[in-house]
Amino acid sequence: MKAIHTLLLILLILLIPTPGWPATTEDWVLIANPKAGIGRLTQDEVTNIFLGRYRRLASGVTAEPLDQPADSALRARFYRQLVDKSLAEINAYWARLVFSGKTRPPGVASSSEDAMQRVSLHPETLAYIEKSRVDARVVVVFEIVE
Amino acid sequence: MNTIQPRLIKTAQKTRKSLLLLGVAAALVQITPALADGSVESTPIPTPTPTESSVSLRGFGTLGIARSSSDQAEFVRDLSQPQGISNRWSGRIDSMLGVQANWQATPTLELVGQAVSRYHYDRSRDPELMWAFAKWEPDARLSLRAGRIGADFMMLADSRLVNYSFLTVRPSADFFGPLFFSHFDGADASLTLPLGNGLVRGKLFAGITHEKSSGIAGVWDTSGSALNGLVLDYQTGPWQLRASAASIRFSSDIDLAPLPDLLRSAGTSLGIPSAIAAADTLIVKNTTTRFYSIGAVYDDGPLQIQGMLNSIHHQTGVFHNSRAGYLLAGYRMGTVTPFIGVSWWKTHAKSSSTGLPDIAPFDAINQSFDSSMAVSVADQKTYTLGARWNVRQDMAIKLQWDAIRGTAASRFPFANIKPGWNGHTNVLSLSLDFVF
Repeated sequence: MKAIHTLLLILLILLIPTPGWPATTEDWVLIANPKAGIGRLTQDEVTNIFLGRYRRLASGVTAEPLDQPADSALRARFYRQLVDKSLAEINAYWARLVFSGKTRPPGVASSSEDAMQRVSLHPETLAYIEKSRVDARVVVVFEIVE
Repeated sequence: MNTIQPRLIKTAQKTRKSLLLLGVAAALVQITPALADGSVESTPIPTPTPTESSVSLRGFGTLGIARSSSDQAEFVRDLSQPQGISNRWSGRIDSMLGVQANWQATPTLELVGQAVSRYHYDRSRDPELMWAFAKWEPDARLSLRAGRIGADFMMLADSRLVNYSFLTVRPSADFFGPLFFSHFDGADASLTLPLGNGLVRGKLFAGITHEKSSGIAGVWDTSGSALNGLVLDYQTGPWQLRASAASIRFSSDIDLAPLPDLLRSAGTSLGIPSAIAAADTLIVKNTTTRFYSIGAVYDDGPLQIQGMLNSIHHQTGVFHNSRAGYLLAGYRMGTVTPFIGVSWWKTHAKSSSTGLPDIAPFDAINQSFDSSMAVSVADQKTYTLGARWNVRQDMAIKLQWDAIRGTAASRFPFANIKPGWNGHTNVLSLSLDFVF
């Protein structure tokens, strides 16, 4: 009976309205280091890199994907457009891989500026940022045109 | 009297359970600050190399309650559980807590340790070291692991305790129930290569188990059993197809004493070879069990469908060969994903009899032999209906109803079966799954 009470209490606490999809209309682009010579990537390649299925780039280098912060609207939009999954579903996917000791999830940038900086310093890093923020330090290697 | 006494002890150490759960968490959190020197994900500056040495501490858990509609048999999540749930709400079978530390020592070398507290073979929730291995990835195609690693017997088998990672409250008990191995000490190697529009992955593993299970007659220590297998996986677009084969050679017998000795001496003194043969079929030590499985997953946006089949072949006569399968489909609607599924598990009895006359004192031996052969019979279907609600990005609430329809002989999937069991029960489950 104790277990039920605890669970009911937690349920009540959780019954606070939850947002569905964080709304953002900002378009994102996937950026890379200009010196990396990555060229254009396909949607399948980007999916494989960000979902940790296969991270080897044509150059032989292992790609290091970077996510936006966990609660960011851009992150939700990125996965929604790339694989039509919610962030909860992406987290469930990673829970399976991480807790069975397989692949590591992408690193996390603290902001788009942080992502830009990391990409400009490391040729293996790939990150998605707002399209409007792109500057000469990086090149666009993938974007979804709707 | 029947000499086989399945699942003996009866103490349920409830307070101790919860204390232990908290204890594990506390202990692990205390150990790690020494390691976690500020290079975890959230640290914004200075810009680290993506693969620089870093430590992360994560966990997963479930608070789950369930009850069934029958008090004639206890429903268990898998056969490692000596007791299950019956027609009273209980948090026994699904509640658990796991903590994992990852240390990325160099860009290609990672060390991983995981401890889990769950209800297991000795009726306690004593924490168990699930993984402790080093992983070396010399390039993106090759991954080598050595140490204590997960037994990847079938698709999803090595993540079946991470309830947050799947749709249902628990993995199909019909399909995964007979897998009482979670981990082994050894090594695995996996290679991933692009093929056509997809990716093909091959994996080989080998090692020695060191797990105990709640067996047919009390605790069964399978430590030292040699295990090996291979997995072949192809992923293309929304499809993932997988085939695997594994085998285990058992290091020890199940304690059925004094039955084997009685059969041998009766067989020898009466000159009945079939009684000696019957004793031999009870031998488990140095026999091999093989597991085969194929599976397909279709995962496209809101729609998820998965289907798997397995076949388990035992050399020993104590366990009957079995086939099982499941089909599960879910469709996301906002934050809620309703799902529907069906699964089945059927053993194929090996016919054997002692050949001893059914008169005293041999009838007691016959009865004991027959009942030990009847323990591992499974013959049932399960219909599942439920929903997963993603309350937050790291928390889900699930409600699930399972209707189990089996024959009265279907005893293997359950614990503490009472006379009058008819193979039918319904299980209602509610769980809160989280990761951190």
